[in-house]
Amino acid sequence: MARDKIYLEEEFPSPLVQLWIVFRSTPSIMIGLGAFTFLIVLAIFSPILAPHSSVESNITMALLPPAWDDAGNISYLLGTDDLGRDMLSRLMHGASLTFGLSFVVVLIALAIGVFIGSLSALTKGVKSSFLNHFLDVVLSIPSLLLAIIIVAILGPGLSNTLWAIVMVLIPQFIHITRSAVKEEFAKTYVLAAKLDGASNLRILQHSVMPNIIEKIVNQATFAQSAAILDIAALGFLGLGAPIPLPEWGAMLASGFDLFYIAPWTVYLPGLAILFAVIATNLVGEGLRHAIKQRKDS
Amino acid sequence: MLIFTLRRLNLFFFTMFLLTLLSFSLSFLFPGDQLVNLTGALNASDSVRDTLAATYQQDSNIIVQYFAYLSQVFSGNLGTAMTTKSDIFNEILRLLPATIELSLFAFFLATIVGIPIGFIAAIHHKKPIDNAILAVAMVGYSIPVFWLGLLAILTFSIQLGWLPSGGQMSLLYEIEPRTGFMFYDILVSSNDYKWDAFQNAFAHIILPAAVIAIAPATIFIRLARTAMLTVLETSYIKATRAKGLSFNQIIFRHAVRNSLIKVIQHIGLQFANLVTLAMITEVIFNWPGIGRWLIESIYQRDYTAIQGGLLVLSSFIFVVHIITDYIYAVLNPLARGAKYGSR
Repeated sequence: MARDKIYLEEEFPSPLVQLWIVFRSTPSIMIGLGAFTFLIVLAIFSPILAPHSSVESNITMALLPPAWDDAGNISYLLGTDDLGRDMLSRLMHGASLTFGLSFVVVLIALAIGVFIGSLSALTKGVKSSFLNHFLDVVLSIPSLLLAIIIVAILGPGLSNTLWAIVMVLIPQFIHITRSAVKEEFAKTYVLAAKLDGASNLRILQHSVMPNIIEKIVNQATFAQSAAILDIAALGFLGLGAPIPLPEWGAMLASGFDLFYIAPWTVYLPGLAILFAVIATNLVGEGLRHAIKQRKDS
Repeated sequence: MLIFTLRRLNLFFFTMFLLTLLSFSLSFLFPGDQLVNLTGALNASDSVRDTLAATYQQDSNIIVQYFAYLSQVFSGNLGTAMTTKSDIFNEILRLLPATIELSLFAFFLATIVGIPIGFIAAIHHKKPIDNAILAVAMVGYSIPVFWLGLLAILTFSIQLGWLPSGGQMSLLYEIEPRTGFMFYDILVSSNDYKWDAFQNAFAHIILPAAVIAIAPATIFIRLARTAMLTVLETSYIKATRAKGLSFNQIIFRHAVRNSLIKVIQHIGLQFANLVTLAMITEVIFNWPGIGRWLIESIYQRDYTAIQGGLLVLSSFIFVVHIITDYIYAVLNPLARGAKYGSR
């Protein structure tokens, strides 16, 4: 086997570490990762960091433009909405709703999807064919439409939206895990492990998983950007988070009527969604790039 | 090709089975009485109820009930809407064309803008143009469509005043609905102001269609770029270069054709995506289509309408999906043996 990379010690980095080495070499992607980490920190610590409460209204300060405007007030950096609630605080609290919850949603979907996917990869015959057809049908329906269908069944509300999105994302994870596991199982190193007498489950856990984890993480970034957009879209349509919650999509919807007198109530939540989705996509892009580079080298 | 067609038909029947099954089971999943959910006959008199129960074979077992439902669906009876008491099938026939028109227009925009730009990016691979296009594409498919719609209305309708902000056509024009496809109806109508109406309808469709088209267009950019890059690395392109063909000849005669085929493969999925975006955009632009109707039905908890609307909309998406698959197979002989759904 040709070895073009020489390490001082006879030590091969694990697939994930190798991935990280390639990943960190692109600056724009590291910016994306930085933004992503920033959002995670914000999502966790927003109650401590935010200057005001997200629901506390100060009616004397209603519809204040951002601080750089002449009519602005420095204690309300990004202005206030029609009930005098601080936009900056609401956006920060919204980070934990829109971004943080999308992260949690993806984690749950990932756990369930990878579990079912890897088990189903080991089955053959009619069951497997049925699952395949079923997945084809489900995957051909766009995630947002499916989420709307499920919300229609469960009824509007934030927690129903989240379950709907989890259910929408699971088939994607099943599909990706399934095909990745099948692909790995056809390789010779798995055969070697099999000859050593390892059971299928053991092979799955110790040989296959470390090699497909990058594909799953990659799918997770796709899933997360879809989840952010779906949560926000459902919030905007009034099917997700109820209006008083500072969810970015719902904030946009409530700013809709104030569009002409207070455009910042529409600009800012939209920009926040855009920022979160771009950060997620940049990380995903970097992962794909790194996976490709590692495959080529 | 025959086997391919059979396989597709098989998939089609399986999907229709699943979709109808889903829509039938929705009537159980929704809160309230199952028969009422199925037919929309809210507060019906006992005699009406008995007739309906007989039609849907409520006394028999669940499988017979399903087939009774199926025969009703195929004879064009989706029940009546709970809130408006209108026949859902007619309602959908009236609304679906508007959505199809908007989606097709947006789809057309997305392809004619996205694919060439993707090719340009691939030709200038790893140069500033490529990076700029990629960056714009990244922003384009990250942007939430409802926000983009609001910004577009604010800029082009309110501040600049170029385009109308909502609706399908100005109410001044009276066009008799024949098919529901606005442009077709205008053209076959016998009014004196036909041409004015056409221009007016055109002005109304531009803004929503452009908003819907942005995200699919950026995906087309990426698809076209990847396809073109793969094609440009193949040996037959090297051979044409060795033969001394000019750059234009290589690109237009060989590379574009072969990469277009790869893009078409993914078009079906993108169309489904586009229809979803259209649903949201219809809400913002007040477009009288099926998406807005469906979302309003969800607000009003009109379960019969939701059930019928979902069935029609998802069948529509799936039919488009299969058609594009088929077109792809016709265009590309290599794909006919494709193991779609069989691996």
